[in-house]
Amino acid sequence: MALLEVEGLRTYFKTQEGTLKAVDGVDFILEKGHAMGLAGESGCGKTTAALSIMKLLPANGYIAGGKINFMGQDMARVTGEKLRAIRWRDISIVFQGAMNALNPVKRVGEQIAEPILLHEDVDKEVANKRVKELFELVGLNPTRVREYPHEFSGGMRQRVMIAMALACKPRLVIADEPTTALDVMIQAQILDLMKTLQRELELAMIIISHDLSVLAETCDTLCIMYAGKIVERADSVEVFRNPQHPYTQGLIAAFPNVKGERVMPGAIAGNPPNLIEPQPGCRFAKRCSFTKDICLNQEPPLVEVLPNHYAACHLVEPR
Amino acid sequence: MAKDIISVKDLRVWFQVRRGFIESILSEEQKYVKAVDGVTFTIKEREIFCLVGESGCGKTTTGKAILRLVEPTGGEVAYFGPGKEDMMKEMVEVALAKDEIDEDKAERIMERGGINIRALSKKRMKSMRQKLQIIFQDPYESLNPKQSIYDIVAEPLVVNSIGANEAEREERVTKALDDAGLRPPKNFMWRYPHEVSGGQRQRVGVAGALVLDPDFLVADEPVSMLDVSIRSEILKLMLDLRESKGLSFLFITHDLGVAYVFSDRVAVMYLGKIVEMGPTEKVIKNPQHPYTKALISVIPTPDPKDREEKIILVGERPDPSDVPPGCRFHPRCPSVMDICRSEEPKSVFVSPGHSVSCHLLIMQGAGKS
Repeated sequence: MALLEVEGLRTYFKTQEGTLKAVDGVDFILEKGHAMGLAGESGCGKTTAALSIMKLLPANGYIAGGKINFMGQDMARVTGEKLRAIRWRDISIVFQGAMNALNPVKRVGEQIAEPILLHEDVDKEVANKRVKELFELVGLNPTRVREYPHEFSGGMRQRVMIAMALACKPRLVIADEPTTALDVMIQAQILDLMKTLQRELELAMIIISHDLSVLAETCDTLCIMYAGKIVERADSVEVFRNPQHPYTQGLIAAFPNVKGERVMPGAIAGNPPNLIEPQPGCRFAKRCSFTKDICLNQEPPLVEVLPNHYAACHLVEPR
Repeated sequence: MAKDIISVKDLRVWFQVRRGFIESILSEEQKYVKAVDGVTFTIKEREIFCLVGESGCGKTTTGKAILRLVEPTGGEVAYFGPGKEDMMKEMVEVALAKDEIDEDKAERIMERGGINIRALSKKRMKSMRQKLQIIFQDPYESLNPKQSIYDIVAEPLVVNSIGANEAEREERVTKALDDAGLRPPKNFMWRYPHEVSGGQRQRVGVAGALVLDPDFLVADEPVSMLDVSIRSEILKLMLDLRESKGLSFLFITHDLGVAYVFSDRVAVMYLGKIVEMGPTEKVIKNPQHPYTKALISVIPTPDPKDREEKIILVGERPDPSDVPPGCRFHPRCPSVMDICRSEEPKSVFVSPGHSVSCHLLIMQGAGKS
């Protein structure tokens, strides 16, 4: 059985202007020990989809429908103590902007020990020992556990955040833009670490990023999201070599490639649609250069177009 | 050969480290954060010159120091662009009238060419800045949310008392918005920053820089806050502006991919110094300095067939208030030698226009002939 099965997930936000459909029907399956990437422009719902799994939505957000089957439990319906027992013990998260996600007035060691003490019946000594092990695991000097966040650099703080996410030996780690604020060299260090940990600990991971090449290097499968929906899903190499959806093609073309020829990257004209009153038909139709009549009226379903390669576009023939 | 527009020579920007009371009593040595520590380059007319490097390497400070938005500690910045002659003539005449210089010296100054930006008075600097403008990184933070787009773009005109009346100003603002690709300008003028998209905000930033009709623009990470899908639109806008207005750019970015596709020449900075500089294609495709090699090797590549061995440097950049002796890069360099720890490498040419500061290359005979 898969570790995580998300089916028809819809997450909405109540706003003054109306209900914002941030995630509107998302399906995916994540196997144990696999890494999946969620990519898309800002506002496409990738973070909201991931936060829904942990039910970490802001007060005006709610899961309007769908199932989130995590190890036999429907996370969409779990509440209270049961939910708290799962959070961080089974699913943990590395937050976006890790530099600012740590408590500045608490020693980092204590911050990492906190979930261990909360979730497991162990004493402080055992927890502290684990913290030191975790420090070593993520490549930090264990003698620094008693220091404060400001004494660490950005990349090191990101390592602390990863150590914290691993504190209770979770099955699934969600990483929300884990390297976005970091320099390319530090990014390489962190990605390297994440790959090693994932392999060694058999972690399942969901990595959220707007940077497709980061995901391609770290993930087994890739989901491209647009306006609250998955428009393409396949093996990450396959997505790059053989993108089917015009949006995916546009996104890939928008990245300058230093290994390739020196050409100006392409752009996708226009803006993402309003998600309060989405237009009928394909949500990408207004920005797509291949729009036909059917695209404006009928929403394309996500179908298998090549072996294990799914796309939601009227232009590609189902397999 | 294209003419130079800006020449920067041995530019230094040091910031004093504040000392505590006790330290100042004990009169410990004043420490400096050497953000920019001896940077030399020239930018030609219609050229896009790119400064790349990790955060904290001093690339933004260099850009700001050229415009004197931070005061340089040492070195020279000279302007050779359009309007130079008139400005210099006027300055020399004033100085002559005041008997500050004699005829001989006046002639020498005129001959040397280039307006020394660091020596300009506050008043002259203000008019100089009409030719030198900057586009800031974050279009979400750099625009005043309480001002309409018209007010934002017109502000430089008001500050510099340009335009006899409101109608004339409106005409210039309209033109700037049009040049920045906000068309038709009438639809945007009276909106507020929150009413337009991220890409359009950055265009407002560009319009604000264009309204004074500058010749040289510093673009400080103008696309790093934007979604990938709209980045190249802004880059193309800048290329168009170069074509139509003959603008020159100092383009500051941490993204080597953007530098690769967009710039004519690129300089890689590390800890306040340029370690490698040359034509973009040469530097990116055939990097010579170990730091540049490492930086390029760690750019994520989607296709596994393109992937090469990554050179992941250990540690993070050292503290610019405590610069290592010798080559600044030696504590992280994979091919460090003894000489690197004690002696700072000179910049040598490895091919025409492509210079590198590294002992390894000097030993291999670069720059000898």
